[in-house]
Amino acid sequence: MTPAGADRRADPSETRLEHSIARLLTGGSYAAIALLAVGFGLMLVNGIGPLTRGPGFDVTTIPGDLLALRPAGFLWLGLIVVLATPASRVMAALIGYARRGERRMSLVAALILLVIALSVVVATGLEG
Amino acid sequence: MTDGLLLLGGGVAAGVFGSLLGLGGGILIVPLLTLAFGLPLIEAVGVSLVCVIMTSGAAAGVYLERRVANLRLGMTLELFTAIGALVGGLVAFLLPEHLLELIFAGLLAYVAVTMARPRETAPAGASAPAADGPDPATLEPVSTDDEPSSDRPFIETLSGPGYRVHRLGWGVVGSLGAGLASALLGIGGGLIKVPTMHVIMGVPLRVATATSNLMIGITASASAIIYLIRGGIDPYAAAPTAIGVFIGASFGSRAAHRIDLRILRGLFVVILLYTAWQMLQRAMA
Repeated sequence: MTPAGADRRADPSETRLEHSIARLLTGGSYAAIALLAVGFGLMLVNGIGPLTRGPGFDVTTIPGDLLALRPAGFLWLGLIVVLATPASRVMAALIGYARRGERRMSLVAALILLVIALSVVVATGLEG
Repeated sequence: MTDGLLLLGGGVAAGVFGSLLGLGGGILIVPLLTLAFGLPLIEAVGVSLVCVIMTSGAAAGVYLERRVANLRLGMTLELFTAIGALVGGLVAFLLPEHLLELIFAGLLAYVAVTMARPRETAPAGASAPAADGPDPATLEPVSTDDEPSSDRPFIETLSGPGYRVHRLGWGVVGSLGAGLASALLGIGGGLIKVPTMHVIMGVPLRVATATSNLMIGITASASAIIYLIRGGIDPYAAAPTAIGVFIGASFGSRAAHRIDLRILRGLFVVILLYTAWQMLQRAMA
């Protein structure tokens, strides 16, 4: 007897979906490590120690820091990519499952994104 | 500059040890940052969460590409690890630091004892799928008589080649606990997820380990977002540690087959027990 999940996993469109998610995860990880490495390099060049308290998180300062080649811009952008990559993977899965008409898995993906969004809202609310 | 390179080196060591022994980096990074570099525990946990997302992301990509990880099962369970992590991320800022240190010391002692015992299952399973795990294709489907009939259709969509997923309810409970532990202690949560999937839900060890790795990203990011916004992640401390762990984990996974893990495991048990003692003293201070 073959479990239903095994049949689904043998489906070529499911294979394509898993491969695109795999590429997204790998690409996101390497992009994040590249940004953090540039930021760390700039820290060394500017003589900033890792135990020095860094600037607080503020999205609006990132573009300016990047243009001025300040380490904080690259570091915060790298950290955003680190944290956003898993959520992007769930978004890709949501689109993939929705295209296939799989309502239950689409709902699961949507609920995960809702929990992540709730994290942002609750944390922002507590800080505000 | 010296501190930066030391932190990078410490991250490399944590990454190498973690991947050689099948542990997530969190169990090593938090003591490294608190005991060796004097960071407050809450910041160490924030940095550790970043590191475990980084290392699991790259590895999870490989497991999905090779179709070892079960995406459907991982996504279903990570909905609950994310809920647990959201709650844990909020609670972490309310708990006194010494209580978290006490819990962490207990976790270190538990892992040391688990590693000292003869190995039947992967101890934490957060980093690499055990190459010697049972082949899913050789496993016989198990009876599903103990499952409520209303659960069967959805559970069956979560099963994989050669195995059937059982007891989703226990998986949900284990996932909530794993998410909570991850958020409070900065670990990947494989310590809870892998045994839950393998022993309780009937998922082959190799698949459970890879699926747990896939789930770490969402589990840790749900709480890491809270740490980030609430000032619990310092970018200057996070960068060298995360880069070091990433390099170390990549090296460790390539060198694993060339190293006698029995000696390494014995050494690691001693280090864990010593670290647990240090953390306990810090909690009591």
